Amino acid sequence: MRVALVSMGWSGFRPSVEELSFREMMFEAAMRAYEQAGIDPRRDVDAFISCQEDFWEGIAITDEFAPEPIGGVLRPTLTVAGEFLQGLAQAYMMVKTGYFDVVVVESHAKPSDVESMRGVFEMAFDPLYLRPLKAPNPHFLAGLMASAFMARSGVDREHLAMVAVKNKSNGLYNPRASHSARITLSDVLDSEPVVDPLTRYEIAPFSDAAVVAVVASEEAARRLTDTPVWIDGVGWSTEAGTGSMAWHDLGSMPSMRMAATMAASMAGISSIMRDTSFAEVEDRYSFAELMAAEEALTGDALEAARMLENGDFDRDGYYPVNPSGGSLAMGVAFEATGGARLLEAYLRLLGGGEEVEAGAERALVLSWRGIPTRTSMAVILSL
Amino acid sequence: MAWSMWWKEARRIYKFPGKMEVEKYVYTPGLHGLEAARKLKEEGKFVGTKCGDTIYYPPTTFCPDFSEGGLAEVRGPWRVAAFTVIRETMEGERLEKPIVVALIVPDDAVGGIIHYVDVDPDKIYIGMEVEPVLKPREERKGNPVEDIVHFKPKIEEGEG
Repeated sequence: MRVALVSMGWSGFRPSVEELSFREMMFEAAMRAYEQAGIDPRRDVDAFISCQEDFWEGIAITDEFAPEPIGGVLRPTLTVAGEFLQGLAQAYMMVKTGYFDVVVVESHAKPSDVESMRGVFEMAFDPLYLRPLKAPNPHFLAGLMASAFMARSGVDREHLAMVAVKNKSNGLYNPRASHSARITLSDVLDSEPVVDPLTRYEIAPFSDAAVVAVVASEEAARRLTDTPVWIDGVGWSTEAGTGSMAWHDLGSMPSMRMAATMAASMAGISSIMRDTSFAEVEDRYSFAELMAAEEALTGDALEAARMLENGDFDRDGYYPVNPSGGSLAMGVAFEATGGARLLEAYLRLLGGGEEVEAGAERALVLSWRGIPTRTSMAVILSL
Repeated sequence: MAWSMWWKEARRIYKFPGKMEVEKYVYTPGLHGLEAARKLKEEGKFVGTKCGDTIYYPPTTFCPDFSEGGLAEVRGPWRVAAFTVIRETMEGERLEKPIVVALIVPDDAVGGIIHYVDVDPDKIYIGMEVEPVLKPREERKGNPVEDIVHFKPKIEEGEG
């Protein structure tokens, strides 16, 4: 039995959605998704999954807030204390059991409400071996990763800047990309770094956003829509975990590779690069896109850098990577960040429309949970 | 009223400030962590977890393969494995004096420690040998991040 995305809804994707609470943003995103699928959540949805973390919300036991805004009151609702794509994998498995025909996945973020962002990041750091450092900017961890990645792979500083230029410009075509801009390589390279080597152009800002997906069995999907987008594979991996710094190689991200490999093998794909036509991947820091391309697509960072330099990853290139503008243009929306990658891949596949031969168009979606985690998720979609 | 003023005002009126109490926890270092803390506090030595032939730092009682680890001293030498320079706070303020942070890995262990390095940002490089500058014994608590003031480049005798 295949599993499909029937519809997706969203709200926000702005630096600050002043007029709505996070619950209203959930409601708006859910309403859009249900309207498109033509379903009533009180009747037609078998289970709801909300992906959230207490500290992002500023509310302990925040799962109590999950059901109401998405229509899940007194219905099977569960939370995943993790990323949207982890929730999607959960939904995929629930549908596969045969007990659930329609499952809704939701995640949201209201970073504009978090006035002590540094404090929240610090709370995620190992309390004995990292937090006492009290560094004035937790992004330093990404700076260390970029440094280790460049040293290991030989990728140039310019290549990191090229990711920022590409994605910030791609965002100009995307109404959800509030942080897009037309910038040049020298804008990035001449800018004073925030944490070496990363400049402000290479560290994705935050966005308030909510994303909802309606996931269904093949039979239900065919009943609900003429344009199902198939979830051919899902994958996830947590390496040693945030708590165990001891065996981390900061210059690579095996969890990205393992998640992508798992999703590809489920989809029956031997080469993601050959068998998909574009990718929406992790890019909350410029180097992360090249790391993701290496781990999931090329197997070689220098090859990924060469393709980037040649324009192969451009939105009209041979293999577009983050044609939506990625997180650098859309912002980081906490646990909904991977949901944003999925949303953009979903919309792009649908946009290909009828010109595309069924089964011929596939996309890779890959996300990482950001510092200080070693958790990544991947999805292979097809039309 | 300028838009930015209006925005600030609106935010003041229509947002309701709250606080999530996150400051009062104690964290238990665990069996190996405790021994490592004692060694560091009393003797100024670093202890890791030995799993097979490999020493991991910082120490835990368990190994990546779920076996139980032993204790082993980590002697170094310590080297810069990755580094960055913090020039701006997360809130966007430029720092007067940039802060050098590095992942510092001892030659004889896997893992390492992330800490400050007292060095000119232009002089640091990957592979540079550094050494920890410890607080005096009476000020040490047993936590390596707190007990190390910073790392500094190691100057061989006869140099500099």
